[in-house]
Amino acid sequence: MKNRLFKLLTLCITTALLTTMLAACAGGNSGGSGKQSTGGSTPVTDNKPDTSKKVELNWYLVGDAHKDTPEVIKEWNKLLEKDLNTTVKLNFTTWNEWQTKYNLLLTSGEKVDMIFASSWADFFKFAKQGAFLDLTELLPVYAPETFKDVPEHDWKDVTINDKIYAIPSTHPEYTPDGIVYREDWRREINAPEIKDLDSIEKYMELVKSVKNVTPIKGSAWNEVNTLFRNYNDFKNIGGDSGVIVAKSYDTPRDVIAYPFTTEFEEWVKRMKTWADKGFWPSNTLSIKQESGDFIKTNTGAVYWRNTPGAAGFIADIDKNYKGIEMGYFPFSRFHNYVVPNLGINNGMAIPKNAANPERSLMVLEKLRNDKAYYELMTYGLEGHNYVVDENGALVSPAPGKDPAKVTAYGIASWGWRTDKNDRPSADRWKGEDALIEEYKPIARPDIFSPILMDYQPVKAQLAAVNQVYQQFGQPLMMGLVPDVDKAIENYRSRLKAAGVDAVLEYVQKEVNTYADARGLK
Amino acid sequence: MRAERSTIVFNIIGYIVITIFTVLCALPFWLIISGSLSAENDIIRDGFKLIPQNFSIDAYKSVFQNPEQIFTAYRVTILLTLGGTALGLFLTSMAGYVLSRKDFKYRDSLAFFIYFTTLFSGGLIPWYILIVNYLDWKDNFLALLIPGLMSAWNIILMKNFMKSIPESITESAKIDGAGEFTIYLKLILPLATPGLATIGLFLGLSYWNDWFAANMFITTESKYPLQFLLYKILASAAVLKTDIAGNLGPDFKPPAETLKMAVAIIVTGPIVFLYPFVQRYFVKGLTIGAVKG
Repeated sequence: MKNRLFKLLTLCITTALLTTMLAACAGGNSGGSGKQSTGGSTPVTDNKPDTSKKVELNWYLVGDAHKDTPEVIKEWNKLLEKDLNTTVKLNFTTWNEWQTKYNLLLTSGEKVDMIFASSWADFFKFAKQGAFLDLTELLPVYAPETFKDVPEHDWKDVTINDKIYAIPSTHPEYTPDGIVYREDWRREINAPEIKDLDSIEKYMELVKSVKNVTPIKGSAWNEVNTLFRNYNDFKNIGGDSGVIVAKSYDTPRDVIAYPFTTEFEEWVKRMKTWADKGFWPSNTLSIKQESGDFIKTNTGAVYWRNTPGAAGFIADIDKNYKGIEMGYFPFSRFHNYVVPNLGINNGMAIPKNAANPERSLMVLEKLRNDKAYYELMTYGLEGHNYVVDENGALVSPAPGKDPAKVTAYGIASWGWRTDKNDRPSADRWKGEDALIEEYKPIARPDIFSPILMDYQPVKAQLAAVNQVYQQFGQPLMMGLVPDVDKAIENYRSRLKAAGVDAVLEYVQKEVNTYADARGLK
Repeated sequence: MRAERSTIVFNIIGYIVITIFTVLCALPFWLIISGSLSAENDIIRDGFKLIPQNFSIDAYKSVFQNPEQIFTAYRVTILLTLGGTALGLFLTSMAGYVLSRKDFKYRDSLAFFIYFTTLFSGGLIPWYILIVNYLDWKDNFLALLIPGLMSAWNIILMKNFMKSIPESITESAKIDGAGEFTIYLKLILPLATPGLATIGLFLGLSYWNDWFAANMFITTESKYPLQFLLYKILASAAVLKTDIAGNLGPDFKPPAETLKMAVAIIVTGPIVFLYPFVQRYFVKGLTIGAVKG
């Protein structure tokens, strides 16, 4: 018996040893091959890169393919094969757990030649970890036009430690939060024009009392939270930073935990009255249904959307729900400025294990700058998915096609979007053009998003703070507590106990470092 | 023959209890069916009802709007399930049989090796790297077929089941001059039908229900198995609630509530019909294993 046990133990240890050894070997291997693949570069002759070798590139986009994608890629590859002796296999992550898959693609060392990259897909994190190939040297050689085309400040967004890690899209976007609301009802019930917080309150009050409709019938968290942030000009730092915010755009170094401010106190008191008036249902935090769905069935009136989202929502309503008229109020009007998205809000990058980075860049250069390539890949097959009308706008699907069978082409083409080749959609919501004109003169650069924090030193405290935020902060914010004063006091003391000060200190330190480097006040 | 009074009472109580349980099990499923046949606006306004207020088959229409896609996916799934189950049964039963033979000297150590792997797993990343970088099975059906073929749990189950077949059968066949493979094929397999049915059902279900492998490894739409295709339709809805929504065009529509229900019905449908056919073996397999263990 004892002998057998001993044997078993030895076996276990041997197995463990063997596994580690194998793992170590594997690690060494993949590192080696990675270096090798980036080393073999195409020789350049007469400034014209050599394309004599036929290459198949492996590209990845997030999201879903369109029904017609195989057909589009076939046509596209015909063009490519003629011009660059290259074909592209276009892969999609689909939206099912796309973050996990995106992560695996970049960390496993898979041979991917081009991938969609974005600040909302953790571009800064992956770039810092070295998942992307440094393009600084390659760009002027293999994508000279793109290199000139992309504005200086967009290159700055993707430059980390003096190295360029992605090609941002060239399409300035404004995505301030706001609300869409039933404009026809507003006139019907004689509510004032919506231009500030009081008029929003008045509008919802009248919707509730006259139309007898709960204004925000679904989950109202986004509506209230974004309204709060924008009304008080509290800015998120480096993505969603929870209760830690910069006090205002003008004072980026003034980092605070907002639950301890008087603004917060006033706000939750006001929200308590809103909740009591029945602006949203009392189970609003657990409802999964979007408030927008209720607008379509005449059982809701208000829905949070950023500007492009609102444009999409209103275009859909105009097309499919005749008789409903929507209005839009962007929260940017509270403080009269907008922050355009970072250049790298959408872009393309080359993973470090790419087999043919040079060729991949040349294809992207074609895609961005050659109209034929751009339109085929972005809008699909002309005469099938779309035609261009006399104003240069897209009509989809092409007239004469059955809309049930042929739909407008759409894939995650955001990464290579360029304004010079971009075409608007003919049945877009016309209000968006006016809004963009409104935003252009009041745009101010995004100084908060590039602050990259991993919260490593304060991980435990952050988890505890988020827990308190969810358990006590959200119901308080939604006015769902019986006694506001007591709830505020309780919330604050629990935040303190969870270690909010440590988190605050960490963020403050990171912000200071960043502000020094950027030369901010 | 008249039944005793107590038996009748027992039967009545039994029927009542079983009926209650059946209703409890069937109700949620019925809700799905009724939801899939309701009009979308009714559900948004009033929530799910047991009987649809306004009968509508729009959800099914929109799922089958692109029928080729669904049929391709059905074909992929059915072929994978049939092929995987047959091959998996063959391999598992061979492994189980060999491990159950007393004259196989190293059976305990080998069984231990197999059992050992159930205690921990390498995790997602090593698995992914193995399949993508070393085996180069990205976007390949092999990535869906091979990993599911054998599982330690099934082998152990098979081994224990094979143990219940008397060894004298093997011996007698040997005396009659049968080779090892003939014994396995002609004698052991027919005797092991209940076990094969049980494990076959496990394998079949796991192939039918598997969407995760496709999620990780398949990138071409025409290679999607059914479960993943339909799950993908649902996943696009979740995206609308994130920041990405701003990027999506106005034509991007979330699937409706009714659509989700219709999808669930389409996916569960065929496998539900499989149960009555194998149930016979399934029950027998369980009891035989239990008595002789």
